[in-house]
Amino acid sequence: MDRSINMVDQEQDGMLPIANVGRIMKQILPPRAKISREAKQTMQECATEFLSFVTGEASDKCHKENRKTVNGDDICWALSALGFDNHAQATTRYLHKYREAERDKAAANNQNTAHIKSHGGLQVAQQNQTSNLEFRVLGKGDNSLVTKP
Amino acid sequence: MRQPGRYSGLTMCGGISGRTGPHSLPLARIKKIMKNSGEDVKMISGEAPIVFSKACEMFIEELTRRSWMTTLEGKRRTVHKDDVASAVVATGIFDFLVSLVSGSCCSEDITLVEIETLKS
Repeated sequence: MDRSINMVDQEQDGMLPIANVGRIMKQILPPRAKISREAKQTMQECATEFLSFVTGEASDKCHKENRKTVNGDDICWALSALGFDNHAQATTRYLHKYREAERDKAAANNQNTAHIKSHGGLQVAQQNQTSNLEFRVLGKGDNSLVTKP
Repeated sequence: MRQPGRYSGLTMCGGISGRTGPHSLPLARIKKIMKNSGEDVKMISGEAPIVFSKACEMFIEELTRRSWMTTLEGKRRTVHKDDVASAVVATGIFDFLVSLVSGSCCSEDITLVEIETLKS
């Protein structure tokens, strides 16, 4: 009995979670529609197989092009190659929006870092005047040590 | 309660609710399945599971919609495993799933464990 439960757990671990799958199914169906447990399990297996199938195609492409990393573009390409044209188009748009959001985030982070550096330099200069401690403000790429009197 | 993430506004059908976070499927699990799919799959970019979360969601939606058509034809309101199997068989792009569903399209009493035992 315990062994069979462990087998089921391991099986579940290698698939998409049935709760998430069930939720997506429920959201697309009319409110009063019901889904049998076995239908959810079948959908779970199908979605997992879909993932493996598309990954295989994307991975083959990378291999042929001597690339090691499977990226978002490869997945969009694989979807199209396997006949999922509508999905490929929507996924490509999603990928571009994601990359745009990541670029915006990186740009915002860079601005914040520059802001801190310029203000940090100003504070050190002020401290220098008030405390008479000998500090050298580190320039960019300057690895010289700060010395105290 | 988890708030909708940055990408929740990007989902196509008006957004999955904030309860599931920005992605409707767990990225770590997607990555694991990708790695298990073949020995050639060694490195996966950070964006790949995110893109896949969207693609899988669309796949499930499409297969569910088609299964529901079969359910309605049978004048029922509960989607059964046979409805999913019928949708797979009737749709050309789902050919890769035919062998997966054909063995399990009969009795709904067979559990996953029993199927594995029968296969071995």
